[in-house]
Amino acid sequence: MARFSAGKAPFIRIADEKNQGTQVIMRDFIIGLLPIILFAWYKNGIKVYLEGNVSFLEMLYPLVFILLGGLISFLMEGLFFMITDPKLRELKPLMNKISTSFALIPGLLLAMVLPLYTPIWVLIFGAFMGTIVGKMLFGGFGHNIFNPALLGYIAVGFTLIGVINANGGVMNQSEVLIDAYAGATPLSLLANIKTINYDQLVTPYGTLWNFFIGTIPGALAETGALAIIIAYVWLSYRKVLKWFTPLIYVGTVFIVSWVLGAVVGDGGVWFPLYSILSGGLMFGAVLMATEPVSSPKNPLGKVFMALLLGVLTVLFRYVGNYPEGVGTSLILLNIFAMPLDRFSATIRAEGYNKKSSIIKITLFLLFVLAIAAYAIIKANGMYTAGGII
Amino acid sequence: MIVQKAKGIHIDGRKSMSKELPLQDYLNPQFVYIHLLRQTESLKRVVEVGEYVRIGQVVALREGWGPLPIHASVSGTVTAVKKVWHSSGKMVDAIEIKNDFLGAMDDSITPEKDPSSLTKEQLVEKMKQAGLSGLGGAGFPTFVKYQSKLPINTVIINAVECEPYITSDYMMIDRYPEKLLKGLHYMMASVGATRGVVAYKAYNSHITDVLTPFLPLYPGIEIYLSKDIYPAGWEKYLIQQITKKTYNSLPSEAGAIVNNAQTAMVFADMVEHNVPLIARGITITGEGIKQPRNFLVPIGTPVKDLIEQCGGYIDGLDSTKTNYIAGGPMTGRAILIDDLIVNDTLGSVIIRPIPDPKLSVECMGCGKCADACPVFLTPTEIWHASERGDIEAVKRLKASKCMGCGLCSHVCPSHIDITDFVDKAKALIRKGA
Ligand code: SF4
Ligand code: SF4
Repeated sequence: MARFSAGKAPFIRIADEKNQGTQVIMRDFIIGLLPIILFAWYKNGIKVYLEGNVSFLEMLYPLVFILLGGLISFLMEGLFFMITDPKLRELKPLMNKISTSFALIPGLLLAMVLPLYTPIWVLIFGAFMGTIVGKMLFGGFGHNIFNPALLGYIAVGFTLIGVINANGGVMNQSEVLIDAYAGATPLSLLANIKTINYDQLVTPYGTLWNFFIGTIPGALAETGALAIIIAYVWLSYRKVLKWFTPLIYVGTVFIVSWVLGAVVGDGGVWFPLYSILSGGLMFGAVLMATEPVSSPKNPLGKVFMALLLGVLTVLFRYVGNYPEGVGTSLILLNIFAMPLDRFSATIRAEGYNKKSSIIKITLFLLFVLAIAAYAIIKANGMYTAGGII
Repeated sequence: MIVQKAKGIHIDGRKSMSKELPLQDYLNPQFVYIHLLRQTESLKRVVEVGEYVRIGQVVALREGWGPLPIHASVSGTVTAVKKVWHSSGKMVDAIEIKNDFLGAMDDSITPEKDPSSLTKEQLVEKMKQAGLSGLGGAGFPTFVKYQSKLPINTVIINAVECEPYITSDYMMIDRYPEKLLKGLHYMMASVGATRGVVAYKAYNSHITDVLTPFLPLYPGIEIYLSKDIYPAGWEKYLIQQITKKTYNSLPSEAGAIVNNAQTAMVFADMVEHNVPLIARGITITGEGIKQPRNFLVPIGTPVKDLIEQCGGYIDGLDSTKTNYIAGGPMTGRAILIDDLIVNDTLGSVIIRPIPDPKLSVECMGCGKCADACPVFLTPTEIWHASERGDIEAVKRLKASKCMGCGLCSHVCPSHIDITDFVDKAKALIRKGA
């Protein structure tokens, strides 16, 4: 008689297969970041160098900055483990632990959404807020309520944006030379002039094509819509993220801002396109809103979240005082992810054809519509369309 | 649609290994052990140690809910009552019978003169006297389904075998195609159903080949080909596909009864020859078995005899790094000592080396478990609610709908035993209630 191993059904697990499992998902995630990182480097480094505005070493800086972000959060997490757990003071268990906790990612993402001329110490501060406060103090990977990178970004944005701007801000050395930019990103320009007009909003930056490619001023990696779309296709194909979350989020912003533009007086399709291609929306939708730990787990919850993100982004961006809007909506939804998950999971379990479910879904959609309507009505009083005032 | 599409996942069948050799009869083990347990009901033993028993003689009774007689599967002397392993993962009392290899039959086993003249009531009574219970895994007493108050017009034979590795239904049908149709025919007659359906996976065209010649003899019986997904053989899903009707708790609400293929075959034997449930087909397979194959064995046969017939374990098998699985790989149970005895519901034993363990990772919240769940539950929410001890939330999240298919754990990239957590939540409801 032989003794056999214990185990729990099901005995066949996809995670056991080669090229499967959480570690592979994280690897695929980082692969997905590559086109975006490369674009950020091209736009803020290589291109500026080719235009003769920075030295060879300075050309490398954007890339180094992003990688440094990853390295910093990696080291911080390692240090945190070593300090808090004596068992993790040897190299092998420590490396095992870090490799299952995906320490690189928060810092990488954080650096990608910061302005080019963010001082390194600010990056370190942001990484600390993200990795240590946002992730490790909550219990580490899998237990964080907030998306660590996002929390770091918000912390930096709320406290140190002045320092960053004093240090040079978002504009690279080629962009500062362009008079038409006048030192403003598309969204800060909109916040200043409060006018929905193609010539005033888009023309200074070229055409919408520039928005699509990403050769407009903005944080390091957020402007590269095309690169982000490539990442989106890859990440959806590898099932790293749920394909519909970014689509619904961006789609909602598109539709609501189209209506908003029309109500204000310019119903051209350029405005919704401008809305989804400027600022951090694409980046936030593809890489932040899909962060699994801090968002609802069931598909209906993800749909609900994406809809809310869409209307809140429009609200914060055009009505609130935050020209960005994406970060704020995301962090708010992090807080509501759990109740939203519970709410939607119950509807899903009971079935969509149940009366109670229909009522709940209707109420939710009305809530979303109300936010959108509020944003549009408010904006109507704040913005004007049409030419030169 | 994004949030609720048709469910099921294709899983590699791994079935060819146990189809290489034909079904082998292994009808005369030296000892058989009749477990004194059916489902969760303990049986009352009605024979004494030292007594001589014949094949088909009643040796124990299932009393209480779903009463059934339980029969000896070989002839010989009752030599002991002792604890042996059961597919539920526990050791339970069993009647040990030492085979005298004479094959002496109980007097009740005689050919039925005119089976076609039996009334519905007589047929259902035979189901009961056969000690017949679902051989597919649940072990539900068959006659109970046939006492339904609601009208039944469809009887479905579930030969889908949607779990990987298992081929015993396939092999049994391959050998006894007509017996299957006969059993179904009598089952239909037991409730006056006009429609009989044999369901199996579309890729098993061989079953179609062996059944087709007999189909004209049994009017009202048709074939249903199911997709190669798991859990295509789930009762509710099957009924939905075949009758286009849904139901809440009992299949009879949709006018349907589902039975396992082998259950139907035993019933055919009972109706025509008065042979009760004494044998079944079983698959012995897995990467840890030298020559996997199927057997027809008396209930109570030691599995180690069968493994020996398969040439034993592969050379150099490290049993401590291997699972000995009673039942299918998706829903079965790990047995710790390889001393299992075949009982009514055991359709397979799988010896499967455990894949190299990866580093354990926390739940990453990816939601793949919720995506995969065929009944649209959100396992992570159920898990958290039950950890909080929040029974109300567990109920609201409909943990009771979980059919234990195992898909949530199957798809989890972090190797979380999430099925098990949902199970625990279900237990919490039962305790709370
Ligand atoms: S239990 Fe597994 S599948 Fe479910 S959300 Fe967590 S990691 Fe994903
Ligand atoms: S085991 Fe239960 S919760 Fe898990 S997928 Fe199957 S039915 Fe859903």
